[in-house]
Amino acid sequence: MEILLTKKLDKTLIIGIGNNTRQDDGLGWCFLDALEKEGFNIDNLLYKYQLMVEDAETISYYDTVIFVDACKENLKNGFSFETLQLSLKLEFTTHSIPPSQLLGLCNNVYIKKPKAYVLKIEGFEWDYQINLSEKANQNLENALAKIKTLTSKSS
Amino acid sequence: MLKSSKMKTKKIIIEPVTRVEGHGKVTIKIDENGKVSNAYLHIVEFRGFEKFIQGHPYWEAPVLVQRLCGICPVSHHLAAAKAIDQLVGVDPENLSPTATKLRRLLHYGQVFQSHALHFFYLASPDLLFGINAPAEKRNIVAVAEANKELAKKGILMRKFGQEIIKALAGKKIHGIIATPGGVHKTFTKEERSYFLDGNQIPNIDTMIEWSQEIINFIKSYHAQNSDWINNFAAYPSNHLSLVNKENGAMELYDGRLRSINFAGNELLNIEDIEYKYHFKEAVEPWSFLKFPYMSKYGRKDGWSRVGPLARLNTCTFIPTPLAEKERIIFKQQSNNSVNNMTMHTHWARLIEMLHCAELMKELLLDDELLSDDLIREGIPRTKGIGIIEAPRGTLIHEYHTDNQGIITKCNLIVSTTHNNEAMNKAVKQVAEDILTDVPEITEPMLNQIEIAIRAYDPCLSCATHALGEMPLIVEIEDNHGNLIDQKVR
Repeated sequence: MEILLTKKLDKTLIIGIGNNTRQDDGLGWCFLDALEKEGFNIDNLLYKYQLMVEDAETISYYDTVIFVDACKENLKNGFSFETLQLSLKLEFTTHSIPPSQLLGLCNNVYIKKPKAYVLKIEGFEWDYQINLSEKANQNLENALAKIKTLTSKSS
Repeated sequence: MLKSSKMKTKKIIIEPVTRVEGHGKVTIKIDENGKVSNAYLHIVEFRGFEKFIQGHPYWEAPVLVQRLCGICPVSHHLAAAKAIDQLVGVDPENLSPTATKLRRLLHYGQVFQSHALHFFYLASPDLLFGINAPAEKRNIVAVAEANKELAKKGILMRKFGQEIIKALAGKKIHGIIATPGGVHKTFTKEERSYFLDGNQIPNIDTMIEWSQEIINFIKSYHAQNSDWINNFAAYPSNHLSLVNKENGAMELYDGRLRSINFAGNELLNIEDIEYKYHFKEAVEPWSFLKFPYMSKYGRKDGWSRVGPLARLNTCTFIPTPLAEKERIIFKQQSNNSVNNMTMHTHWARLIEMLHCAELMKELLLDDELLSDDLIREGIPRTKGIGIIEAPRGTLIHEYHTDNQGIITKCNLIVSTTHNNEAMNKAVKQVAEDILTDVPEITEPMLNQIEIAIRAYDPCLSCATHALGEMPLIVEIEDNHGNLIDQKVR
């Protein structure tokens, strides 16, 4: 399941999902901020409150998509990086669509199946505040180190 | 999930009601004789935005209230902005032409994308596959499999509207353009070219062309299914919307409030800011959603439908040529009288999409959009009322402040709230038509209840100002209130 990344990102899109005004729900966005500071190509970093149906078209232009989101699960080292399979099931609301279903929609409509991964980062606090909790910050650092590993292998 | 029952008296609960924006529940009561004795659409979310906005400075309102909804934040942003303009002493007619045009462009982009979302992703499965199609087929993935081109167009039309919003407000959801007395940024030539040249996304001419194609689709669908689409959940009602102040034309951003009854007689024609002298809101113990009505006509006769069907009924014409041509054809379906056919709301929605596409083109070609004359000032006041036509209908925001500009009172009447009585009536009527004296209640029967609700494109999050996940349930009760059957998705 290993992928290799370059800072240019080429045909890779990284989507940070969340809301930075809800403390650790902003982990997805903070992760993209950190990548930008590391010199990753900002044109291939996409900030989203939630995924929407039209994002199926957006991801159809890329070979690889990485979804980054906060989660409440207890994760080893505070994050997990997993391959994502597409799903043909569709939720009833259009307020948001899960990554696996977005992949399914992309495959159905655009006949494109980008390689997809989910980077989950464990969060702890979800109040109406802007800063990440201390523990979430540590998990963010761990997740960032993982991505840097993928980049260094590539170079 | 649908449970069967051998009991003669029943209560049906549909929960969650699917493919609507929000969390609600339908309860249908069936008496000992197998007749539907009553039916309710309960809105079970509660958020209380009107309360917690109190104590905030007035200029925060357009930013805060758009968090009511992820689908139509622009509508809330602009309704609040119109009200806040008045708090700094600027009435709509005194805004700079550029600010007005930029806000209008944003609004038309919002209506366009919202209507595209509803038609392609929520409503089209019912139309393409029919009301008896299996539940697993009634979704956009099945639409995509059956008609890829339709699905692609739906995605790109929605995207076009979202890109307009992003260009003007900085981001697609919860962006900001309005500031008290105007807007904080203008439009650049590069931004304008993006929507006109077609190099990166299909351009505005393509949007107009596709809007016409989709109208042709629904006309063709109507020709083949006219009996069902004309009669399903149809009932006479009043209709309410803004109309142009001078000529009564369709008006989505700023106008007079006009209501007509089922026969076309005018019930109301007032300056929008006079609304509070003409409307009251009733409450029921079984729903968090209020029931607005025109006080002159009372709770029983004073409620109105709002939204695309109402707007097509209340306006005297549509001031863009292609949409006006379609309006004339649409009016012929009701012999040029008021159209009370609920399912024609989908048709009306598509005509409005075309209208918005034409309006966007007009504005995109207007050089005044590029001016930097953005903000006006006036003598501060302590009350502001902003009313616009949101995608789902008339949206009212009212704010009062103290002398330091702190909000002391807020009242929001959103589109779905106006349609509360109408949706309840539709639910009851369909329930009576399809559930009376049937040996077995099936899932497709219950889907028909949802189809009736879905025609109104209700946004239950907006209506109760609620947050959270969006399911809806149908339950069957006996006449003693005991739960007999239930459907849960």
